[in-house]
Amino acid sequence: MTASLTSGERLALLERMLLMRRFEEEVISAAAAHKYIGRNHLYIGHEAVGGPALIQLGARDVTHSTHRNHGHMIARGVDPGKALAEIMGRVGGLCGGRGGTWHMTDPTKGFGSTSAMVGGSIGMSVGAGFARKQQGEGVSVALFGDGVLDEGISYEALNYCSKFSLPVLFLCENNSQEGAHITSMLAAKRLTDVPASLDIETHVVDGSDAEAVHETVRQALAKIRADSCPIFIETQLARWPGSHQMRPEHTTGVTDVTLAWDETRIAGEHDDWVRSHDPIRKYAAKLLSSGAATKDGLLAIDARVKEQMAAARAYAEASPFPPAQTALENVFA
Amino acid sequence: MARKTFATGMLDALGHSLQQDPSVAVFGAWSFIVGRGLPAEQEEAFFEKYGDRLIDPPTSESVIAAMATGAAVCGMRPFVNFGTSSFAFEAWNQIINETGNARFMSNGQLKAPLVFHMYCGIRGGGAAQHSQSPQSMFANAPGLELVMPSTPADAQGLLRTAIKSDNPTIFLTHTKLLQWMGDTPDGDFATPFGKADVKRAGRDITVVATSLMVREALTAAETLAKEGIEIEIVDPRTIVPLDTAAICASVEKTGRLLVAEEAVATCSIASEIITIVAEHALHALKAPPVRVARPSAPLAYAPTLEKVVTPDAEKIVAAVRRMLTK
Repeated sequence: MTASLTSGERLALLERMLLMRRFEEEVISAAAAHKYIGRNHLYIGHEAVGGPALIQLGARDVTHSTHRNHGHMIARGVDPGKALAEIMGRVGGLCGGRGGTWHMTDPTKGFGSTSAMVGGSIGMSVGAGFARKQQGEGVSVALFGDGVLDEGISYEALNYCSKFSLPVLFLCENNSQEGAHITSMLAAKRLTDVPASLDIETHVVDGSDAEAVHETVRQALAKIRADSCPIFIETQLARWPGSHQMRPEHTTGVTDVTLAWDETRIAGEHDDWVRSHDPIRKYAAKLLSSGAATKDGLLAIDARVKEQMAAARAYAEASPFPPAQTALENVFA
Repeated sequence: MARKTFATGMLDALGHSLQQDPSVAVFGAWSFIVGRGLPAEQEEAFFEKYGDRLIDPPTSESVIAAMATGAAVCGMRPFVNFGTSSFAFEAWNQIINETGNARFMSNGQLKAPLVFHMYCGIRGGGAAQHSQSPQSMFANAPGLELVMPSTPADAQGLLRTAIKSDNPTIFLTHTKLLQWMGDTPDGDFATPFGKADVKRAGRDITVVATSLMVREALTAAETLAKEGIEIEIVDPRTIVPLDTAAICASVEKTGRLLVAEEAVATCSIASEIITIVAEHALHALKAPPVRVARPSAPLAYAPTLEKVVTPDAEKIVAAVRRMLTK
């Protein structure tokens, strides 16, 4: 266990990660009920990256996210009801139904513009780093997947930050470790070879280990704040089996927190993912075995999260679609 | 009033902006400032005074456009000098998908107050890749203001407005206008967007002209005046927003419309202006409207091949004569 986290912080982190998971389960459920068009890129399986990384950020820190942004939003404390309403295209959504699943943002929680273009977030993160350095407070965090290093702008972005010493954390979520759906076709042996060649400090961390990610990010942020420099962290993840293009299926089933202490009940086609890769089950089991959490404590956390998501779902469903006559609003200031 | 060049008008606007607003930062500063006609000591003073906000980035147009957008969203007011407009095509994805959409996608929560400045037009010997006129491409992308000044006073006043604007603005400077002299109001001033300027009043034909074509139209007007033909030159100055009322009012008066634009005619600003007049003032037209613009072909290097397709005063004169003799 990492010395930098108290028991209370550990439980809070697990609760945030579980909220991220239950949020996506609600997204799947709403799609299945035909509440909206139902195209999404879900964050299931990535909770041990976005959760511990983003929960540490301050009000002046800026994050730019991607098509897989739902978990990032919840990790930084965005209202899950407004986020779900946005995914459902409702007027009460974060962006009034204009952005949808691909372009959710909440500047009050430190988000810049969210891009669904591969390589969109990494470029704009450089600008956030430039602005915060000029303004004297805050850092920029670029969130992106492994496929982004196939895009030319990644090289430009890393080069600029290195050359001009901008305070940017490049946080890569590499879910192309194995399997049929590899989104990285980089000729370099390791993703980190690219930033390393541009004189950027790099780290590789197990993206299913919440506290390892927390500690690596904590140290990186401290250095970025102190020295104004870019750092690149590659988090390595097993791709969630439900993560098909566009229409995800809940192939691994609704999360059952009791599996944290009862492994014998893990079953089904994707039992290996649940047993070995599910970051939430792994972290819950770790907190139990270390004595930081109790079974009853975990059940109480889950009950709170479920209650929060039920309220979020009710808020989103109660919110109407935006009035047609507002279609041309907010093109210009 | 002060006499100054188009280039120094823009530099004065930039200087006032840097002085008054600490959030203004320039990317591509050196090529915008140096060699544009300022005395050496004034150039040096620029860099001494504002050095930390005058940045010369790597040749990385994509990330420059993206970072300007990211910085604008975080409270800065970047002015980006891309150089030749062809180079901005390297940043097409960022300008169209990120910059122009940021405000709308966020439902107005974000704003991207920045200026993308670029040199455009047929400069002489630029061949196909250094003679682009990309105005209608930008006008076709929602969320971007589009400015095409034709005089030193407009260049200064419109650039000041562009930097103050909370919207992203594309600022197109025709390379051949840079050293054009003109009278400019003293001190710091801003010229509003969406207000056309009648550069010459006339009764016979409305000539809507953009950027360098305003100068060509003024030359054409001198020739035509000797023949007793008075053209009215309407300079929209900003394409987005466009002062359609002023254009239509002029056509209502003259009954004839010619649009002079240096870009390829297909789906051009000229096409758009003629469409707008057809929609709103068709009843006033006594003759079919005419475009003086480029044919749809890449631009050749050799001067003979360049000149034959370049819209200029001569071609405007010839088109006006044809319109009036029909």
